[in-house]
Amino acid sequence: MGGDSPYEIHQTAYIKLILHALKHRTTAVNAVLLGRSSASGSSVEIFDSVPLFHSQIGLLPPLEIALIMIEEYYGERGLNIVGYFHANERWNDSELGGVAKNIGDHITRYFPQAALLLLDNKKLHALPQGKDRSPVLQLYSRDASKNWKVAGLDGSNHLSLKEPSANIVLSDYISSEKWKDIIDFDDHLDDISKDWLNPDLFK
Amino acid sequence: MVSKTEEEQLNRLENQVDNGGGGAWEYLSLLIKLKIRRSDKVLKYGVPILNDHKKRSALGPEEWTLYEQVCIAAMDCHQLDLSKDCIKVLKKKFPGSRRVGRLEAMFLEAKGLWSEAEEAYTSLLEDNQFDQVVHKRRVAMAKAQGNLSGAIELLNKYLEIFMADHEAWRELAETYVSLQMYKQAAFCYEELILAQPTVPLYHLAYADVLYTIGGLENLQAAKKYYAAAIDLTGGKNVRALFGMCLCASAIGHLAKGRNKEDKESLELQTLSAVALEKDYKQTSPSKLPLVSSCLRSLKVPL
Repeated sequence: MGGDSPYEIHQTAYIKLILHALKHRTTAVNAVLLGRSSASGSSVEIFDSVPLFHSQIGLLPPLEIALIMIEEYYGERGLNIVGYFHANERWNDSELGGVAKNIGDHITRYFPQAALLLLDNKKLHALPQGKDRSPVLQLYSRDASKNWKVAGLDGSNHLSLKEPSANIVLSDYISSEKWKDIIDFDDHLDDISKDWLNPDLFK
Repeated sequence: MVSKTEEEQLNRLENQVDNGGGGAWEYLSLLIKLKIRRSDKVLKYGVPILNDHKKRSALGPEEWTLYEQVCIAAMDCHQLDLSKDCIKVLKKKFPGSRRVGRLEAMFLEAKGLWSEAEEAYTSLLEDNQFDQVVHKRRVAMAKAQGNLSGAIELLNKYLEIFMADHEAWRELAETYVSLQMYKQAAFCYEELILAQPTVPLYHLAYADVLYTIGGLENLQAAKKYYAAAIDLTGGKNVRALFGMCLCASAIGHLAKGRNKEDKESLELQTLSAVALEKDYKQTSPSKLPLVSSCLRSLKVPL
């Protein structure tokens, strides 16, 4: 467990995470990652993500409802909850907080290779300037003593973007202020006509 | 706190302005009145008014309020040169003003000059120790520097003096929740419910916190507060209805074999589930099968 299973994230899943964070710049936000492990079990592919909340993230009831619904929906489509995404409230806070760790632990109970992704604000800020093809995310995974550790710089346990041009597409969406259209579970609970699946976001 | 009608009114106005239908000043005034943070819009629509001599003088004395509003929005969007210009104009018009002094201190904050800002706020407090805005800025500064325990300490001290400030109690509660200090958050919501027992939001938040702490007693209490929230919102609050279903399910699992408990819980759970399904059928029918299935999975077998 916690070996060198690389994680690969699809563009759709990736962009949703970042747009969600950009929509709610003044609060912490989170999301779940959907996907499955490869046949050999040596890697995890993240196909989709569902943005969850932008307020009172430490409360259980909304989280439980969201997880029940998301598990059921994606379970029918052969995907599991394979990870969790968190963006801290403050720009210069790059630490993994208690809430994120707890939710990560919970997900790991059902999917041992769960990935915990933390938004890397500095990388996000540098996005328009650079030609960086790596995701603007910090990957955490659990080590043998069940502590969340940052992915090693030696290349083991890393996260890659499935589509190499994902950051370019993301930059485009940022310029066109696409984040305004993204719906999260909080929005849904406030107004159930809003769809947390975001089916028309990229149309 | 903003009501749904107020928010809808604001969004309508915003749409109107966005689409070139005018009404920028009404929109900006409404933002001040409702204390809503949409700094990018304030800059987008406020700056052109300030830059146009005619439009500016048409505002009369409100011109200075707009300068203040744009100044703060500029700091929020990190356009510090713009805020500096606004402060200059206001200082010229109102020399020695305390209100402008506060803006200057906020400017120091925006630049990240924490100790200078702290000095400025301390001196402002020396002149008037009951300046609520300055007290709150100090809390905000602590938060901005990641010193959440400091922010909590300051908020608690503030609330000892200004115990009727509901927004401060909410801020404190939310800060406690972010640190997973649920019992302390619960205390804050208890104060809010005591002060304003007809506001459903507080009952709902309190129930959420109690559920999060867990344990049979807390779940039973949470159920009561979800019920209160449902009552106060005429059964229309989706969060409260879901909360009730979750609660009943959790209680059912913990209190297996206690017949009275099961019956009452089951009834409330069923009623809430029915209300939710009705709501989804009407407003979001594509989600109805999913929601029904999830609600079924929450039902505790007798």
